[in-house]
Amino acid sequence: MAGLADISLIQAADAVASGETTSLELLHACWANLDAANPRVNAVIWQEREQAEAAARAADEAVRNKQRLGPLHGVPMAHKDMYYQAGKLSTCGSALRRDFRPTVTATVIERLSAAGAYTFAGLNMAEFAQNPTGHNKTFGDCHNPWNLPYITGGSSSGSGASVAARFNYMALGSDTGGSIRLPASACGVTGLKPTQTRVSRYGVMPLSFSHDNVGPLARTARDCARVLTVIAGHDPLDPTSSREPVPRYEMFMDNDLRGVRVGVPTNVFLDGADEPVVAAMEAALAVLEGRGATVSRFELPLMDAVAAYGGIVSRVEAAPIHAEWMRSDPQAYGAHISGRMYPGYAIPAAYYVEALSRRGPVLKAFAAEVFAKVDVLVTPTIRTCLPTLQETDIDHGPPGTETKFMAVSANTRPFNYLGLPAISVPCGFDPNGCPIGLQIACRPFGEGRILKVAGAYQMDTRWHWDRPPVLSAAA
Amino acid sequence: MGAFETSVEATIARWFGIKPPNEPAQRLAAELADTVAAFEALRGTLVFEDEPSSFEAALQATKEKA
Repeated sequence: MAGLADISLIQAADAVASGETTSLELLHACWANLDAANPRVNAVIWQEREQAEAAARAADEAVRNKQRLGPLHGVPMAHKDMYYQAGKLSTCGSALRRDFRPTVTATVIERLSAAGAYTFAGLNMAEFAQNPTGHNKTFGDCHNPWNLPYITGGSSSGSGASVAARFNYMALGSDTGGSIRLPASACGVTGLKPTQTRVSRYGVMPLSFSHDNVGPLARTARDCARVLTVIAGHDPLDPTSSREPVPRYEMFMDNDLRGVRVGVPTNVFLDGADEPVVAAMEAALAVLEGRGATVSRFELPLMDAVAAYGGIVSRVEAAPIHAEWMRSDPQAYGAHISGRMYPGYAIPAAYYVEALSRRGPVLKAFAAEVFAKVDVLVTPTIRTCLPTLQETDIDHGPPGTETKFMAVSANTRPFNYLGLPAISVPCGFDPNGCPIGLQIACRPFGEGRILKVAGAYQMDTRWHWDRPPVLSAAA
Repeated sequence: MGAFETSVEATIARWFGIKPPNEPAQRLAAELADTVAAFEALRGTLVFEDEPSSFEAALQATKEKA
């Protein structure tokens, strides 16, 4: 039965601010689902309940005193376990950091706190954010709330699964090759990867500093808009963060798509796509047309370069971060993590420099051709029906398992090398009852535009409100 | 193990002191041949007037206009 934990982040924040409910009631509603379903989903790996209740009571006291802490006042949250909070556990999903307690706090956590939110748990994730499936050797695999043997998507596996299972209203994920959008798609929630440099990465575990992004997974696009408004913007502690002004993203969400030009790639993104996924995308396009958008289809340029260069950058940048552990304790990693990192040490520096130096020119050429024709690109987030954990288990599967494993992120990786913002919204279910996601991407710093399209789509659909069966089974 | 795989393992051992941690590592190292092929296929196909240019400048040059 739907309850307080089923509402959106914005509804939760507004309900607390108006006194309609309390932060403590929200927290307890989330915990009721967590206690019932987490033993099967395994999205949450540690909790701080006493501190969370204290934060909830403080938020409620502020309301009684007519104080509004900010746009996320009293909203309980839990994040991928790689956002540092000084003195608190941050395992990064690995045995190598099982007891790691950083001395700094991530800027994004500081900004969420300043807006009135608080954190009550750490979420499961791929080891060091390095797989697209949700496997985890140390803390156990994360399971899809819609169908437990199936992958949650990764690397922000616990973020997607916890929001879907109503354990929280929003979770931060990180996205280096799709790690926000994939679990959003697989778990039936909304996930936003911002433009490269849009959000500070200070105090966030690094994987590939050229491709890493911070962003929200939440119930709705409007929730993501509110969170992005809070966390985006320049941070002196992260000199790579952009000085581009931060708009109030919710103001773009007018649900009017007249004049919006939607492009559907005819190459790469639908190669080997499963019929139910294509059908869901086509149905979604019809919804956008119904709101006034026009749809055209054409081949995207430079996709071979994007694939070749993008793969180099991610693998090379991860290598030095892990070199000491790869020498001293390689068996502490899952085989699919160390196995995939290993070749990165053999890639010539000249290849890496070429891949990085071509990134700007490739983006400019891509944008000049594509965004002259359309305003947004639409693709499936994952082009196949979801595989199971077993089908993508490189550690224990036969040779060739990695092909199915890597196919999961084929549609998301290109936008990391290009640095473009992209969002995934739920758009249907496959024959196994697992969610299907629709990916919407656009020009740099066009988050307002993709939020507008995603928000309009969610005005006419209900996929993002559907409750996973794991909650019914728990009741 | 072929000459390519032997050379990859030797390079990683020499420069980083890292041995292949498991069988998937050896398998995926062999796939670096595909990476080389992808780079080879790009040679001569990409000519940009303004290279090298910074990625941050490209983000600004191509950004959404208000």
